[in-house]
Amino acid sequence: MSEKINIPDHYRRWEADIKIGKKEDHVTIGYWRDGCKGCGICVDVCPKQVWEIIEAKDKWNGQVVQVTDAAKCIKCMLCEVHCPDFCIKIY
Amino acid sequence: MAFEYEKYLRMDKIPHLWCPGCGIGVVLKAMLRAIDNMGWDKNDIAFVSGIGCTSRAPGYIDCNTLHTTHGRALTFATGIKMAKPAKHVIIFSGDGDATAIGGNHFIHACRRNIDMTLVVVNNNTYGMTGGQHSPTTPIGYKTSTTSYGNIDPTFDICLLAKAAGASYVARSTVNKGKVLEKYITKGLEHKGFSVIVATANCHTQFGRKNKMGDPISSRKWIETREIPLDKARNMKAAELEDKIITGEFISEEPEQTYWENYNHPIHEYTEAYQGIIEKAQKKSEGENK
Repeated sequence: MSEKINIPDHYRRWEADIKIGKKEDHVTIGYWRDGCKGCGICVDVCPKQVWEIIEAKDKWNGQVVQVTDAAKCIKCMLCEVHCPDFCIKIY
Repeated sequence: MAFEYEKYLRMDKIPHLWCPGCGIGVVLKAMLRAIDNMGWDKNDIAFVSGIGCTSRAPGYIDCNTLHTTHGRALTFATGIKMAKPAKHVIIFSGDGDATAIGGNHFIHACRRNIDMTLVVVNNNTYGMTGGQHSPTTPIGYKTSTTSYGNIDPTFDICLLAKAAGASYVARSTVNKGKVLEKYITKGLEHKGFSVIVATANCHTQFGRKNKMGDPISSRKWIETREIPLDKARNMKAAELEDKIITGEFISEEPEQTYWENYNHPIHEYTEAYQGIIEKAQKKSEGENK
């Protein structure tokens, strides 16, 4: 791996080996649960259904998100660009 | 590869106070990436905002920041730019801030063509104060002060800026974060007054009264109304009612005909002002001899 992964310790992590076209790659998804407000934009913009909404009693609208299957990720970075709360990091 | 926003943020102030799914977060991220594309030192950037939801942004950004009075962000910014012409001045403003109470300052900053970048987050309402109607609320939509539907015609901020003499004008929406980044980068590179309008969602105050109370349906509503500028040129006015025309209204090369090139700026303001300072100094030196 050439690039440095800079995900803080308090982030949740998911890792998987993925294949984009014929190219083999590795993805690390970092997610900051305390900063997340559960708006669900990442679930909406993701073209591969990597994210899903789950119940969380401590949040204002009772929901946060989590990764269903990191192996589906194609590193399009849409969720990272469109998360308004600086909660998602993808390497 | 992930972008490191922490470099430009005061992380002790994050999470921010904007509503869940607020478009301002997306625009702010696009702007931070654009600043990073320019490779500027944080000490050389002055970041100014007025009042409104967007005015919270300077609190979160770690550079020289100034939170000013309602509508007067551009006047404070003009002062900074004239006192310190080497600083890169960026103004983050809302539609109410830039076009309603600060409308006069907006057109005169455009007229002067002073080297600053204005990012207008247009969310079609006054979000912070309770969802009153703003100069960009579309006709027929309900707000807390227009309970039976708005009848006021709207401002097209891009055409207003173009006619007033701004030298780079572009518009995109929150659904296209990467395009916003491109336009803001171009605006920062451009020497002269640049206006970038980002149409954003306000589902909490505006959407809730118009049957789109969640961020997803609000963003979809914006997406369905987008029309690229090249396509819009050949369309009739009736077809373009309630549409968001996106694209670059003025880019680097000025267009040829008089009407398309109306009021194209002649010079950049701080450079012209430097010329006046030199002239006055020469004159006073001559008098002292």
